[in-house]
Amino acid sequence: MHELPVVLDILRVMNEEAEKRGFRKITRINLVIGELSSIVDECVQMYFDVAAKGSICSGAKLTFEHRPAILRCQKCGREFPHNRSFSCPVCGGDSVLVKGTGREFYIRSFEGH
Amino acid sequence: MEVILMRKLLGANDQLAKKNREYFNKRNILAVNLMGSPGSGKSTLISAVAKKLPGIRIGVIEGDISSSIDAERMEREGLPSTQINTGGECHLDAQVIRQGAEKLNLENAIVFIENVGNLICPAEFDLGESVRLLAASVPEGDDKPFKYVPMFSYIDAVALTKCDLADAVGFDKRHFLKGLRAVSKAPVFEVSLKQGAAEHGADAVADWLKEKYEAFQES
Repeated sequence: MHELPVVLDILRVMNEEAEKRGFRKITRINLVIGELSSIVDECVQMYFDVAAKGSICSGAKLTFEHRPAILRCQKCGREFPHNRSFSCPVCGGDSVLVKGTGREFYIRSFEGH
Repeated sequence: MEVILMRKLLGANDQLAKKNREYFNKRNILAVNLMGSPGSGKSTLISAVAKKLPGIRIGVIEGDISSSIDAERMEREGLPSTQINTGGECHLDAQVIRQGAEKLNLENAIVFIENVGNLICPAEFDLGESVRLLAASVPEGDDKPFKYVPMFSYIDAVALTKCDLADAVGFDKRHFLKGLRAVSKAPVFEVSLKQGAAEHGADAVADWLKEKYEAFQES
């Protein structure tokens, strides 16, 4: 729901980086997004296409690498991808979220010339 | 040519939030980021808790997409307040908080920042607050911690509001706590503040905030 500030941030960072490196065109931006970061890929790309028009990022493709949130069972210690019930799929125990998992939210790399 | 960057998104907001934190520290302000759904009872909670904190100056920064209904309500109750209209944005960010804080111009105070009613986006934006409080109301349902993990893992305390409705709406507190405890150790204060009925729980929230305020002054 706050894809626009995210997109504006990507454009700001890319302008900075392009200037630093003397790039004239950015062709691809590779993002890493945890499943708990509340944004929608298609919305980011859509805002990006509009906001990037006329900039060095115009026409650049965004890629999204998703990372799961991980829960740890408090009974048997098993770690498993976040599910809806928060219960261990093996022993049924209650679980806790492994801190930081699913909250990844960064630009991993970009391509340009 | 691929360039590895590893740069966090929304980093600009985090930088501004850091500056806000310095501003609040210098002025001895305990900033409380109060979040929750629309209608969860955030404004009512502020009014009730403020009354339980005699001797401590209270201020309010009100965030809403439009209107100044909440700020006017706070002023009527004698609480200095300032309204931020986000013009449709679903959350407050660090930049607008700085503007609000400067307009409010307080020192030695607890300042409530009433965020936009929303369980999603506000959890992604650090405002430079010291304390994050969630108003989660019973009629919203006991499954909310399972569905809004970032919000429930982001907070320091939960005011479980409208507790007098628990039986009427079939709220399963055990289920709620299972979800909450998976992501947070935040204490839960049961609150009911229905007008004209016996009030319950505001004093526990006030005591918790007072403790935070005193610890903050000593730090």
